[in-house]
Amino acid sequence: MSSLLEKHIVELLHERNEKAISLLYEHYGDTLYGVAFKVVRDSELAQDVLQESFVKIWKKSDSYDSSKAKLFTWLFRITRNTAIDKLRSVNTKSDKEIQIDVSDVYNLGVDSIRPEFMDVKENMEKIEHKYHVVLDALFFQGMTQQEASDELNIPLGTIKSRLKIGLRELKKIYGNSMILLPLLILM
Amino acid sequence: MKEKIRIFLGTDLLEKYLLGTTTLEESMQVERYIAMYPEVRKTYDELQANLETFAKLHSLKTPEGLKAKILNRIKAQNTGRRKFQRYAIAASITALLFAGSSYFFWNQNQNLQDENVIVNNKIRNLEEDMKEQLEDVRNQFIVLNNPQTKKFTVNGNKKAKELKAVAYINPVKKLSYINVRSLPNLPDNQCYQMWAEVNGEMVNLGVIKNVDDKDRLRPLPYAENAIGYITIEPQGGNDTPTVQNIVANISY
Repeated sequence: MSSLLEKHIVELLHERNEKAISLLYEHYGDTLYGVAFKVVRDSELAQDVLQESFVKIWKKSDSYDSSKAKLFTWLFRITRNTAIDKLRSVNTKSDKEIQIDVSDVYNLGVDSIRPEFMDVKENMEKIEHKYHVVLDALFFQGMTQQEASDELNIPLGTIKSRLKIGLRELKKIYGNSMILLPLLILM
Repeated sequence: MKEKIRIFLGTDLLEKYLLGTTTLEESMQVERYIAMYPEVRKTYDELQANLETFAKLHSLKTPEGLKAKILNRIKAQNTGRRKFQRYAIAASITALLFAGSSYFFWNQNQNLQDENVIVNNKIRNLEEDMKEQLEDVRNQFIVLNNPQTKKFTVNGNKKAKELKAVAYINPVKKLSYINVRSLPNLPDNQCYQMWAEVNGEMVNLGVIKNVDDKDRLRPLPYAENAIGYITIEPQGGNDTPTVQNIVANISY
């Protein structure tokens, strides 16, 4: 996402121009839908989550502060939290246990990647499984580090270091594809 | 200082902040570090970029029609808000109109009530007047028709020779009337006033304003051996009769 377009969207949001939502959907819709789906693992629920997230984004648009977070970070937080809340409310209703099958989570993520990210997919395979699992649990499953440690049966210290390495080393793992990625999305 | 940053980056606060799961206090601490140390800022920016990349790896094609649904919901929200504003304005206007008309009707009602009180008072006064006059007329009739009524002709003394009056006294009914038929003209600053001496006390019977109505009977207070007087007094009447100005007396 070019920072120019980001700026334009933010301006539209602050002006409460509905066009902002249209642009956000075009440029972030697939990613946010992927985030929602990763958390709730159901396409109907994920659609609900995305709808609710966009309503929240619209309602909270005045509160976005670009000096505190990038636009995507803000969108991600809203979508992720909405999805986690949705999952909790659904689980409370049906009184179902969330069974987190680590390998399933991993596979879902890889299988559902858009074709244009095929080269990314290749890179994805370069991320060591152990980092990916931790990132997944924390980002999408709404687990705290302690919960991830218990769930994945990995010591808390290891979770912390894997999260750090996983996140901070992403750039190194991807190398130049990081620069190509925004271009790919815009195309 | 380097050590401090290293320790800070060693915690997972920055990662938690990235996901928006920090407490308010923690957020403030993280924001302070980001603002103060470029290294922390750089790490935070990297984390944000990595998060975006990682999230994009999981992009999923959104289902057909979802965008339209979302845009409709946003529109509905806005029109809902606009509708609410419109309703609020309409409601305010209605309330104002209602308040205005209420005040108008209340005011009108109040005026009508006041008028009603005035009209009622007038009617009561008229009734009382009528009763009084009817009573007077009845009494006059009784006095004039009664065989026991004595008629006295009153003539003025030297000071008012033209003065002529007729007094009717009925000792049985204890009623007395006087009819002043003619009075000599007086200067503008003087007037005739009637008095009655009843049980040794002088009672003011008022100023005789005019004698146009020659058939009018004036009631006199009745008492045994009472004396009526007509005096000349300054214009407007006097509190006590001026003895030397007595122009006529009626003993009854």
